[in-house]
Amino acid sequence: MMIRSLTALAFTLLPLAVAAQDHQATNHAVIDEHILPAFETFANATEALKTAAQADCSARSPELLQAYHTGFDAWIAVSHLRFGPTEVEDRAFALAFWPDKKGFTPKSLTGLIKVQNPDGLDPQAFKHVSIAARGFFALEFMLYDEAIAALGAEAYQCALIQTIAADIDANSDAILAEWAGPFSQLMKTPSEDAIYRSESEVTQELFKSLVTGLQFSAEARLGRPLGTFERPRPRRAEARRSERSLRNVVVSLKATRDLAITLAREDEALAVTLGAAFGDSLALAERIKDPAFADLNDPQGRLKVEILQQSVNLLREQLNQTLGPHLGVGEGFNALDGD
Amino acid sequence: MTTRRSFLAGLGAVGVSAQVTWADVGAPSFLSAARTPDEGYVLAGLSQAGAIVFHIPLPTRGHAAAVHPIRPEAVAFARRPGVYALVLDCVTGKVTAQLDSPENRHFYGHGTFSADGALLYTTENDPESGNGVIGVWDATLGYKRVGEFLSGGVGPHDIKLMPDGETLVVANGGIETHPDSGRTRLNIPTMQPRLSYLSLSGDLSEQVELRPSLHKNSIRHLSVSDDGLVAFAMQWQGSKVLEPPLVGLHRRGAAVKLIQARPRDHRALRGYVGSIALSADAREVAVTSPKGGVVQVFQVRSPSQYSVVPLQDVCGISAGWAGFNVTSGAGSWGTISNGQISNRQNKMLNWDNHLISASHLPD
Repeated sequence: MMIRSLTALAFTLLPLAVAAQDHQATNHAVIDEHILPAFETFANATEALKTAAQADCSARSPELLQAYHTGFDAWIAVSHLRFGPTEVEDRAFALAFWPDKKGFTPKSLTGLIKVQNPDGLDPQAFKHVSIAARGFFALEFMLYDEAIAALGAEAYQCALIQTIAADIDANSDAILAEWAGPFSQLMKTPSEDAIYRSESEVTQELFKSLVTGLQFSAEARLGRPLGTFERPRPRRAEARRSERSLRNVVVSLKATRDLAITLAREDEALAVTLGAAFGDSLALAERIKDPAFADLNDPQGRLKVEILQQSVNLLREQLNQTLGPHLGVGEGFNALDGD
Repeated sequence: MTTRRSFLAGLGAVGVSAQVTWADVGAPSFLSAARTPDEGYVLAGLSQAGAIVFHIPLPTRGHAAAVHPIRPEAVAFARRPGVYALVLDCVTGKVTAQLDSPENRHFYGHGTFSADGALLYTTENDPESGNGVIGVWDATLGYKRVGEFLSGGVGPHDIKLMPDGETLVVANGGIETHPDSGRTRLNIPTMQPRLSYLSLSGDLSEQVELRPSLHKNSIRHLSVSDDGLVAFAMQWQGSKVLEPPLVGLHRRGAAVKLIQARPRDHRALRGYVGSIALSADAREVAVTSPKGGVVQVFQVRSPSQYSVVPLQDVCGISAGWAGFNVTSGAGSWGTISNGQISNRQNKMLNWDNHLISASHLPD
């Protein structure tokens, strides 16, 4: 009797032990192969952006515009990793204040420029201005918005561009420093008394960032400009001034594809299937020739964007039905934020 | 489980008249929405012992319900952002009216009746301005929309009638959403949650905000005692490492008191409280975290004394005769008292977020 129950116990414990092992290997792979390289790329790109702005702060400088796009790409490629170092001191929002329903970014920038506020000249002081005046969306206004350009004060605007670029770089350096040191360590060594209590909680955080990233693309990046059929809202498209609306969706799809495949590393067939599913969405994105979603009033143009949105939603569903159970980290029935 | 058919057959014998009261529907003590094994949705009435005394199909996933104070009638809200709510006759199981949110409004999932049951107040969003709105519906006119007023903040979620019968308390969660972008949160960096007290005509009488460092603590759910103590539960939208308090107590005109367990137990809530309930004598306040799979029960007067009971995907909670009754997304029902769970039952249902008390009914 005793032996029998012990054997039964051993059998029930065995799969758990194996699963724990898998979680750890998967977590380490995601941190080392997906997260850290992406934040390193981001830090390098923002360093180059800062340097380009210092070399030539003109909104017409091709080098600066190129560096802006490369830096923005690198941000979008980490923008799904919204936990830990990006959430400290509102860093992620200070890098990307969007959606900006009430137009805080142009208002804050206009306020700074009109009085030539000295905080705009000093990256240290700039940390304390409204976060709406910081980051890539502020820089986009400075580089691409005609109303901002029309405010004049060219020397001040030039310095402000340099300050925004330097602030972005300082922010990305701070995020990388934490990721490369204490936060990776925290995620790699979960314990009962720590923020992450187990390996599976870490995996759950990583999985959640994947589906939340896709949700943001579907609902905000695509959903906000789509509006309703009766009332499309193309002017709500993300980064439309620099015609990055579609590009941001594509960059984010590629980054989340990388994360999905890394998370599925223990099951090659699943990894291949998921890779193909992301490929389908990316192919649909390629068919859209309208980088800023300006054509949403045209039914044909709208349809293509709607189809892309649908495919991203299908991806989310597929991940929740396949990868989530594979990792053993599905969310409970009642664990959705805000309910 | 009582099927609707047998339940209705039973009612035939009782005889259905215009005078029916909650007692005629087996006097449910609680209501809860749920998902059925065949992916359908229902609103169920439950007894103190956890027995299902009726269930009525819903077309989509429900969230909370408002219980009519006199008639066996409940208003079931869809999950946010919902554009309709259904008025259910809990005797016949029929939908007797439908509330459609007006153009440029949608429901946020909670509502409450006036003391006489004549008016229903619903939490709503005005997506274009981002302002929270309280919709007013006349239950005596087939739930006609008769007015609205500002909720005192953004993203109102739970709403309760204060025991004076003249004041509404609203959990303005602070999170702005827009139906075009689903449940995506649009204003986290600038959000400002509030507890707002309003007259029945919408005059703001008191606003309660937490200290600025807690501005990302979305106030979402409420429980009010007979003597006017308001317990509120929060969901943290900021950095996980900060681990702020998630439970507050407030009396009108006084300062907020925030309570939390010791760090290790507090961490188990995972920044998220799903439901909150004060005990009938208001000596205890209990909170659930479906993310952490845990119930915590605090002594109101000395919150350092508390108990912790684990239960996977627990969310619904309501004060009952023998302690706090809880429901879980995994189908469990149980009664929590003295740090223990008893009367565990499992149904083939996924209980939704809230177990709504119908405790104003005669016992």
